[in-house]
Amino acid sequence: MSNSSTDLLVRCDRVARTYGSGPSAVVAVHDATCQVHPGDRIALMGPSGSGKTTLLHLIAGLDDPTVGSISWPALGDRHSLRPGPLAIVFQSPSLLPPLDVVENVALPMLLLGTDRKTATNAAHEALARLDLDDLSSKLPEELSGGQAQRVAIARVLAGRPRLILADEPTGQLDHATGIRVIDVLIEAADELGAALIINTHDPLVANRLPQRWDMANGRLTILGGAKIC
Amino acid sequence: MLTLTWLRGLLARRAGRLSITAIGVALAVGLLATLGSFLSASKAQMTDRALKSVSVDWQVETQPGADPQAVLTSLESTPGIKAAVPVGYGDTKSFETTTGATVQTTGAGVIVGYAGDYRSVFPNQIRDLAGATTGVLLFQQTAANLHAAPGDQVTVTMAGLPPVTIKIDGVIDLPEIDAMFQKVGAPPQSQRSAPPDNVILVPLDQWHRLFDPLAINHPELVSTQVHVDLVTSLPHDPAAAYSKIVGDAHNLELKLTGQVLVGNNLGAKLAKARSDSLYAQILFLFLGTPGAVLAGMLTVTVAASGADRRRREQALLRTRGANSRQLLSLGLSEAIAVGVAGSILGLGLALLVGRAAFGTAGFGATNAAAVTWAAFAVGAGLTIAAFAIAVPAWRDARDISVVAARQTIGRRREPRWQRLWIDVILICASLLVFWLTGRNGYKLVLAVEGVTTISVNYWAFLAPALMWLGVGMFTSRIASFVLRRGRRPLAWLIKPMSAGLSDTVAASMSRQRRLIARGVTLVALTAGFAVSTSVFNSTYQQQAEVDAVLSNGADVTVIESPGASIPPNVITELSAIQGVRKVSPLMHRFAYVGNDLQDIYGVNPTTIVSDAKLQDSYFQGGSATSLMTKLAHRPDAALFSFETVKDFQLAPGDTVTLRLQSGTTKQYVQVPFTYTGVVKKFPSAPSDSFVIGNADYIAKMTGIDHVGTYLIATAHGDSTAVAGRVQTAVGTNALVNDVASKRRKIGSSLTSVEMAGLTKVELGFALTLAAAAAGLVLWLGLNERRRTFATAAALGAKRRQLGGFVWSEAIYVTVGGLVTGAAGGWVLTNILVKILTGVFDPPPTTLAVPWAYLALVAAVTVAAVVIAASSAIRSTRRPAVQLLRDI
Repeated sequence: MSNSSTDLLVRCDRVARTYGSGPSAVVAVHDATCQVHPGDRIALMGPSGSGKTTLLHLIAGLDDPTVGSISWPALGDRHSLRPGPLAIVFQSPSLLPPLDVVENVALPMLLLGTDRKTATNAAHEALARLDLDDLSSKLPEELSGGQAQRVAIARVLAGRPRLILADEPTGQLDHATGIRVIDVLIEAADELGAALIINTHDPLVANRLPQRWDMANGRLTILGGAKIC
Repeated sequence: MLTLTWLRGLLARRAGRLSITAIGVALAVGLLATLGSFLSASKAQMTDRALKSVSVDWQVETQPGADPQAVLTSLESTPGIKAAVPVGYGDTKSFETTTGATVQTTGAGVIVGYAGDYRSVFPNQIRDLAGATTGVLLFQQTAANLHAAPGDQVTVTMAGLPPVTIKIDGVIDLPEIDAMFQKVGAPPQSQRSAPPDNVILVPLDQWHRLFDPLAINHPELVSTQVHVDLVTSLPHDPAAAYSKIVGDAHNLELKLTGQVLVGNNLGAKLAKARSDSLYAQILFLFLGTPGAVLAGMLTVTVAASGADRRRREQALLRTRGANSRQLLSLGLSEAIAVGVAGSILGLGLALLVGRAAFGTAGFGATNAAAVTWAAFAVGAGLTIAAFAIAVPAWRDARDISVVAARQTIGRRREPRWQRLWIDVILICASLLVFWLTGRNGYKLVLAVEGVTTISVNYWAFLAPALMWLGVGMFTSRIASFVLRRGRRPLAWLIKPMSAGLSDTVAASMSRQRRLIARGVTLVALTAGFAVSTSVFNSTYQQQAEVDAVLSNGADVTVIESPGASIPPNVITELSAIQGVRKVSPLMHRFAYVGNDLQDIYGVNPTTIVSDAKLQDSYFQGGSATSLMTKLAHRPDAALFSFETVKDFQLAPGDTVTLRLQSGTTKQYVQVPFTYTGVVKKFPSAPSDSFVIGNADYIAKMTGIDHVGTYLIATAHGDSTAVAGRVQTAVGTNALVNDVASKRRKIGSSLTSVEMAGLTKVELGFALTLAAAAAGLVLWLGLNERRRTFATAAALGAKRRQLGGFVWSEAIYVTVGGLVTGAAGGWVLTNILVKILTGVFDPPPTTLAVPWAYLALVAAVTVAAVVIAASSAIRSTRRPAVQLLRDI
């Protein structure tokens, strides 16, 4: 993996995010500095309320820092991240209820302007890779939690992103299903050559990834295997 | 305790949704209570108008053998009688006058003897036209017939007595001539078809001098009556007032058994008023019920949009040990809170609207009626709240599987009613009932002869009710079908909004068809309600205007006084008066059809249809235009009334020879006419028999083109003011009537009911409902899917792309709802107008469409949709994560 700045996917520089103001203000993320490079496999660990999800949302460009700056040198500006080079897997159900599985998987590509036929073909291909092609005409309400999360990963795969962010993807799943989902997620990242950050408080999940970031009271600590500039 | 805590929490955190639900309840309660005020106020108004419209309350006829003086004394001492005045009636063989070298002779006539105080006790019974107001008074039609004026001598011929000559002091009109010459005690079908044409009124002592000798040999030609003015403290309800007045009359007949028969003029007016009051009640049911049901449906829809929240809360309560009974009591407490708040708000609204629209702040003319109406409206409000909140809560608490059944997305089978084609069955059943009702002549109010109570044929209500339900369900079927089967054309149609996502948006809409179809149905029903209510009301107003114009002849009518002669240049003079738009001459003469003296009107067939606003319903066997075209093509063509055609067994093309007075010799000359068609009504014409012919032909055959009547169309509608100016211009040469005064005088018919207030209330309500249904339902539907939009935004959907989803749905709901609503409303209006034929006089030829109001409804609906959709799109501006967190 190269350390050149053109390969740098994300750069967070002394980033902070505060909710509210005055005495009731809550500092969710405090003075976080980090970078994400192509091929990174990062487990973002920490107890509930430590600021993991907020940091992930900042990296995804879903939220703005109140202090500091975030940039995506190799991915483009904030508005071109999604759909495109960055994809997210949410903890809660994130499939659109009125669309069937293929349509859900094809949606990010359609949002990008890809024509319907190409997007549908890519969706079918992604589903097939995850052995989900038999679910293609199902509606989200007809899927189990594990199936829904695997379809969400297929959606990520179909978009061929360079950075995948997963926010506690196994949080609502039983242990066995959770392991399977993590397997699929890592396989997808490997296949795409994408960087992967998984936000989790499950050590078993964290142990599957070589790099580890810890969050405690909004403060980020970069641990083993981290690439610090 | 738990209930109070729960309610406090709801008020603190769900105040918005609870308020909207309570407003829905308030709208229904407000409408019902307002219509209750209308109904109650109009009933009281009808009774009041009936009382005011009667000149002589009772005509008590002394029976042969009874002593008239004893009857009079007895009546004067009867409680409830304010004044009793004796009147004599004597039949004559003829009246005769001599004008220059010519002699005019009439047929049989009647001389009425009136007491000195008669005119002061019954001021509306006699109307002065010319000459003195006391002494010998000649009826205006007789005056025209005899060419007599004040100061002329009339020779009266009586059976077996030498002729008597009397001097005419004045010319009068008898506005209540039908009642005045009724056959006392005879049923309506045995009454004479027309009042006498030849009438002279003389002071009572003079009458005795004339007829006491006649009574000796011909008592059948002489009769006496006592005209009675009653102390009128009657119940507000016309039906109750009618029962009381009929009972009083029967009581009098019983008290003076065999001596008198009572001609109950007030009873007859109240009989009409009570059937009109039943029509008012029917109007309330036809026009008010759908509105209240719609408000209820809207409330249920609003409450249903919070069903997911309620289920989640129920689940949480269950996990903390709440049982079904407790869950139900919480749902019930929410329903009662919303129902009570909505009812109080609704009653307040009704009070305000009642004061503004009907001038009454109560819900009824009496305290009992007020309490009943208020209780009824509140009961309806609580029922709606129970259906909206408590029933779903009870269902959820009882059976958790309901959750699955309530999903609005999915590929479940269509609802059972669709599979069983219940909507189509309802529409067919409606048409069948409509047809059956039509066979009965759409008689809604049934008055059985000899029975004092009347009833409503509620069976007829089924037709519009079933049609309303059927159309609503059919709209849902169509909306659903198009979304299910028409995905491709739909995708093509919404391409301008959703571009590359059109297939995805169409697929999304297809799978949410139950939710969207619900929106389309509500918009359609509210639009249909607005269309049917407004078109019905406009048609009603149109026909009321037609009725008034029919009675008066035009906005303003100028009728030449007997003996007077308006100069020919009067048209130019009248046209120059401020507010006059057009002056049209209408020739009015009298002609003998056989021995029957009838009014004959000479018209210009090329202009009369528009000048006199002729309706097709005035004629039989052709439209107004087609029959006037026939008249224009044949100078001697004439239209006769149905009675004449029947009596003389006329067939089209028959020659009918009438006798008209010659302008030169003043003698009656024979004038041949060709029977061309049947006329039932004509502006200013009497309600019985008359003739319509070509004015030029009549002028040519009688040698005089004297007109007699002028119809004036006003420019701005203030007919009373224009009439005043015209009267000043023509002086005493003519009698000037205006349509507004005539409308006021028409009496207790429904036209006099405060329909303007009812119309305002209903149209305002329909407008509010249309806006609420379109905007609120769409907003709630979109609000339910905030999570979907937030997820799409998190995946990277731009606001324009999210807008594609929102606008496609909004346009489908709006266009679908408005189009099907307009079509359904049109069908319903036609059914309503047919079924409610009884309230229209005359029945309408065409429906009046208030385009401006309908355009306003469409504009308000579109505006509400735009606001709802924009608000939904604006809410996606918030960061997606924040949205996802909040939902």
